[in-house]
Amino acid sequence: MPSTPAAAQKTGLVIDRQSHTIRLMREFDAPHAEIFEAWTKPEHVACWWDAAGEPLAVCNIDLRPGGAFKFVTKGHPEMPFAGAYREITPPDRLVFDGLGAIGRVTLRETAGKTHMTVEIECRSAEQLDDYLRMGVDSGTAQTLDNLVAYAQRRLAAVP
Amino acid sequence: MFAAPLDIYIAIWLYTHMTTQYHTDWLSSAFQALSDPTRRAILARLAQGEATVSQLMAPFELSQPTISKHLKVLESAGLIEGGRDAQRRPRRLAPLAMKDVADWIEPFRQQWESRLNNLDAHLARMKQQKET
Repeated sequence: MPSTPAAAQKTGLVIDRQSHTIRLMREFDAPHAEIFEAWTKPEHVACWWDAAGEPLAVCNIDLRPGGAFKFVTKGHPEMPFAGAYREITPPDRLVFDGLGAIGRVTLRETAGKTHMTVEIECRSAEQLDDYLRMGVDSGTAQTLDNLVAYAQRRLAAVP
Repeated sequence: MFAAPLDIYIAIWLYTHMTTQYHTDWLSSAFQALSDPTRRAILARLAQGEATVSQLMAPFELSQPTISKHLKVLESAGLIEGGRDAQRRPRRLAPLAMKDVADWIEPFRQQWESRLNNLDAHLARMKQQKET
């Protein structure tokens, strides 16, 4: 699998081990209401959730507090992403429990563009590590140059 | 609020080393090395590229012996190493440390990068559909 050049990476990632939280940040050229819809309607979620780019095999959404959701990819039917919604506040906030962690999607729109933050708050540092490991789906070998560039990019992000 | 990225690298790196159950002695010296804020700041500087003692003196406003003492602690903890130029004796972050950490976190990051690229493309399609 070819690795994405560092310059093309658009998603910020910060891990805070003290609060066992993974935070992803990304800008979209779309209003927050659209993004909220993309997160909460099955016909939309099914189109983008699978990192492999395939439509989801199963995408069930019961959008109300306590309502369940289940996303199943074609490639890994044994690893569904399932949980329940906690808080649904369109168009800027969605909170859910998923795989034992709390997910928080926050959308902030400015001049037609939206800054999205996805926080994954784990119960413990151990669970955080497990969560990170779940992304491991291939033994992607990276060159040291790529890795250093990646690390430097992260450091450059320090204000 | 959120830890600086370098802290994350250090924390994860330490964790991976811990889980592999390697050198317990080394681990305690690494922890000790990282407990000092100046040494952490030196690591942050070295992560941007190698630097000599004199290059490190200016930003940290520390004397040469003080900087050298900190570098020695970091070096014996395996966090930094000597650069190529033996004359100037530049120090750099131990590349293996960087590699371990990035290897570990990269697949997760890539998964979300792909997922959110999909979302980006999907939002563009949603916009198109609304316009037509």
